[in-house]
Amino acid sequence: MGYILLIGVLALVQVTLLRTPLGFSAPLLLVITICRTLIGMGAAFRDIGMVQGVRWAFYSGLMLDILAATPLGTHAFALLLATITVAFATRRLRIEGPLLPLLAMLVASLIYESVMALLIQPGPVMWGDTLRVALIPGTLLALIMTLPIFFLLRWMLRA
Amino acid sequence: MRDYLDDRSLRLRRERSDQPASARPFVLAGVLCLVALSLIYLDQQGIISPLRMLLQQAFSPAALQLTGLRNHTEDLIGAPRSEDDLRATITALEQEVSQLKAENLRLQQAQVENESLRQQLQIQREQPWHLVGAEVTVRPPDAGRQVMLIARGSADGVQVGMAVIGQDPSGPAALVGVIESVGTHTAEVLLITDVSSRISARVMHAGQAHLGLVQGQWQRGSRLSIGQVDRSAAISPGDAVVSAGLTGSLNLQLDLATVPANIPIGSIEEINPGGQGQSAELRPFVNPDQVRYVWVILNQNE
Repeated sequence: MGYILLIGVLALVQVTLLRTPLGFSAPLLLVITICRTLIGMGAAFRDIGMVQGVRWAFYSGLMLDILAATPLGTHAFALLLATITVAFATRRLRIEGPLLPLLAMLVASLIYESVMALLIQPGPVMWGDTLRVALIPGTLLALIMTLPIFFLLRWMLRA
Repeated sequence: MRDYLDDRSLRLRRERSDQPASARPFVLAGVLCLVALSLIYLDQQGIISPLRMLLQQAFSPAALQLTGLRNHTEDLIGAPRSEDDLRATITALEQEVSQLKAENLRLQQAQVENESLRQQLQIQREQPWHLVGAEVTVRPPDAGRQVMLIARGSADGVQVGMAVIGQDPSGPAALVGVIESVGTHTAEVLLITDVSSRISARVMHAGQAHLGLVQGQWQRGSRLSIGQVDRSAAISPGDAVVSAGLTGSLNLQLDLATVPANIPIGSIEEINPGGQGQSAELRPFVNPDQVRYVWVILNQNE
């Protein structure tokens, strides 16, 4: 229950304090969810680690939907798809060093932003414009936040 | 802190393990995806929307506080730092204070209302609108849609389709968006810059008014455009564009068709000839991304 409250606070911080001049917020919960999944996949019991990542994705998504006035389940679905992809791709890999978290975040962010565009943009998605306005800036923001959050989370979970 | 991040202890792997994750977590993830898709469907059908609005309302006070904190921080960061900047700012402020004092004396105002209320009174004096002021609580976290939440709802008389206006310090009160959905104490505003926002409008040129349709262009990389203007109509950059109040009669598939006439929208920046009608890029009078306080037009005097 404690972590659901924490997710609520983080979601509030994302939609209010972390708004950028680009017109959207820094994807804090996406980054935390993916980092949490990666750390879980590097744990002794991968199943438990991945389940925790998946639960973070689902609850974070629902919280963002409530705060962002999007249909309930939209963010949750996008986050779940990104998390499943990262978990599947890294299921046999050893997660050490900065390269893998960055690559995982690149893939996850592109999936997340693309699914969000498909789900919430009215009419057919104009991919060229979406790439320029949402995908590239959103992914860059996520990549910038990845390493500090990944190493901080890993340190906190080991402590 | 760890207890909040996990509900079970997590032992990080020190030794290399080739044991992949089993299928169980993927099955769980698949089930949750199906749940999420079901929720989307139910929300789009309006079955669980009231629940979402209720939860949104519960978070609204905290969101309002945090947004206020962010605005305050932004103001602090944007404050001038160097001595020259400070001097220039002080000079400008002194001139402004002087002008305000003179204006206050002329009008024999006893005291200065707070900025938002004063703006509202001024708008109501100039326009035949009945307004209700609202603070912006939450903006969207995604680039996909241009919407915002405001701290007024059906309890304040706000209804779907009502026009929402804002005002920059140096510009006229102008259209910011249209109410898209309403809770008891909160409402969602579809901004005019969103690509799904379409408003009937008039281009004012040399005493003549030419009809057109203003559409948001944010997802296409700009702000606003006006299209379907008669090819023979003479329009030029700088011409003002106001709402026509005809969106309903244009037979568009929109719930948002009750925007009153003569609300300023923006001015023409660049004309794009070609096609069956003329189109042009618009610069909105109010930047919807920057507004912190808006007014909902409840109705207008006939």
